[in-house]
Amino acid sequence: MRMRLPSGVFYQTYKQDQALWPTAFVKLRMWGLLVFLFVIFPQVASPYWLSLANLVGYTILSAMGVQLLIGYTGQVTLGHAAFIAAGAYTCAVLVLQYHIPYPLAFLAAMIVAGLWSVLFGLPSARVKGFYLIMTTMAAQFITVDFIITQYVSRIGERGHSFSLPPGTLSIGPWVIQSDRDVYYLMIALVTLSVLAMTNLARTRIGRAWMAIRDHDIAAEALGINIVAYKLLAFFMAGVFGGMAGALWIASLFAVSPEHFTWSWSLWLVGVILIGGLGSNYGTIFGSLFMTLVMEALRNAVTMLAPLFPALETSFLFIKEAAFGLAIILFLLYEPNGLAYRWWQIKNYIHLWPFSYE
Amino acid sequence: MEIFLQLLLTGIMVGSIYALVALGWVLIYKCSGVLNLAMGELTLIGAYVSLTFYGWGFPFPVALLATLIIGAILGILTERIFLRRLIGEPVLTVIMVTVGLSFFFRGIIELIWGTDTRVFHPPVFPYEPIRLGSVVIGQVYLWSFIAAMALLGILVAFFRYTRWGLAMQAMADDEMAAMSLGISPKFVYAAAWAIAFMAAGVGGSLLGNINGVNISVGYLGLLVLPAVVLGGLNSIPGAIVGGIIIGILQNLAGGYLDRFTPGGVKEIFPFAVMTLVLLIKPYGLFGWVRIERV
Repeated sequence: MRMRLPSGVFYQTYKQDQALWPTAFVKLRMWGLLVFLFVIFPQVASPYWLSLANLVGYTILSAMGVQLLIGYTGQVTLGHAAFIAAGAYTCAVLVLQYHIPYPLAFLAAMIVAGLWSVLFGLPSARVKGFYLIMTTMAAQFITVDFIITQYVSRIGERGHSFSLPPGTLSIGPWVIQSDRDVYYLMIALVTLSVLAMTNLARTRIGRAWMAIRDHDIAAEALGINIVAYKLLAFFMAGVFGGMAGALWIASLFAVSPEHFTWSWSLWLVGVILIGGLGSNYGTIFGSLFMTLVMEALRNAVTMLAPLFPALETSFLFIKEAAFGLAIILFLLYEPNGLAYRWWQIKNYIHLWPFSYE
Repeated sequence: MEIFLQLLLTGIMVGSIYALVALGWVLIYKCSGVLNLAMGELTLIGAYVSLTFYGWGFPFPVALLATLIIGAILGILTERIFLRRLIGEPVLTVIMVTVGLSFFFRGIIELIWGTDTRVFHPPVFPYEPIRLGSVVIGQVYLWSFIAAMALLGILVAFFRYTRWGLAMQAMADDEMAAMSLGISPKFVYAAAWAIAFMAAGVGGSLLGNINGVNISVGYLGLLVLPAVVLGGLNSIPGAIVGGIIIGILQNLAGGYLDRFTPGGVKEIFPFAVMTLVLLIKPYGLFGWVRIERV
């Protein structure tokens, strides 16, 4: 989906054509957005909105790996929570047990999650489609329900969960304890990841992934090493997952296997389907939409609770059913997701008032 | 040796329930090409419906019959409302719709029945175990096995001898040829979903008799996926053999490997087996091998 240019904009060099932010207006808009996200929002937002923003950021980082695998490379994964868990637990174990500084543990978490993801991506060399879905599903159950629950959780005799008292995590002298601290870390990571992902999609690697997604046999005929690029996709997806996991432990008081269930893996796939496959907009819109809609649903339930007391306890179930219905309705009626709507609105504005074509 | 026999027999009996649910799964896949990830929730629905009817005082066979009827209605509705629009859509879309269905069903189930474990009260089958030589088997297992085998027999006979069953087989074999013979694909898809719901419902109510009914019955329903991968996705004998093998392997792993680990092997072993099968023989024991060329 190539964006239509606003009228009056013409490229005269290839450099202009390839620029990430092609026009002065786009540049202004993006810098404005960054200033808003980094400076204004954390100053004016209440702790409630900050924690909500952190949840959105975590969902974006988690879903980015899923988007990379499903939206860009066409390798369906239903076990991404396993790799997020691998990152979260690597980071937690290194910090709590071996007293390694948080930034180093963070890097280690990214690498471990990436390699763990490659391990379960290996069958993709032989199988695809439904069979690959089954292996990623197996990755979920083997990693979270067996290895982490039965073995990793017992490291250091901590019982079922690893508690992280506030002030455990720090980057140099900067102790990460309030929601605002987590927000700054989160927004920096999300910005970097979105930029990295956008640029990856514009380079040889991203093009190769998309070629594999569109037709793997033709891609191989074009000279793309399919196995290597598939495994690279799994590695990068794992790295994003590890990043999400290592970030998420900063806003938790305790890490336990319940944070990384199969439902969370499915939720992430739902997020990118609702947002739109194959674009960063899809990841971001999907995460925003799902988090905010679910929060609105929760508020509605809380407001109605005095009238219908049974609603309070059943919120989680309503949420599950609503999420399922949302996926189905989006797939039936808006299969291109929210990103497509956004694209249409933007084109409409660009071409206004002469939107013929 | 006694322990081995004990585990083997229990495995076969639980496996026969998996085989029943797996048969429903394979049926949907063969007839309409839908890879259904909502199978766990279908078993849950069956378990809760039969529990409710039993709780109202109906005898268990009547409760089972009611489960079958409600399952058939729900299956036809599901196919009509959601899946008929998806014919010819990409695989991921169809799979994710079934994932959406599984969330939807689970939310509704929890909304209606809550999350506490419920048991069939009074127990349907006597607690008194049956002794076969040195091997002891709970009556629950034996009756479940008999019920599952009877249903499997009925289903296989249905496919082989009835007009509708033959129509479904023809549709699975060659859609175009079947349509030119006057078989309605709409009818076949609806029938496949109805039968899958019915098989899963009976499987669910039998599993519920063994362990009590809660959300984890849905997890047991997910075990059909290793079973069908092992048997081959589009093979009905494969589903039966795969289900029984998965039941046996699961029980043997629980009996022999559990002492080497802190626990949880039983739940995870079928998935580990499935990963191995996918690496070594991805088309399973009886599946069609698809070779792709440009």
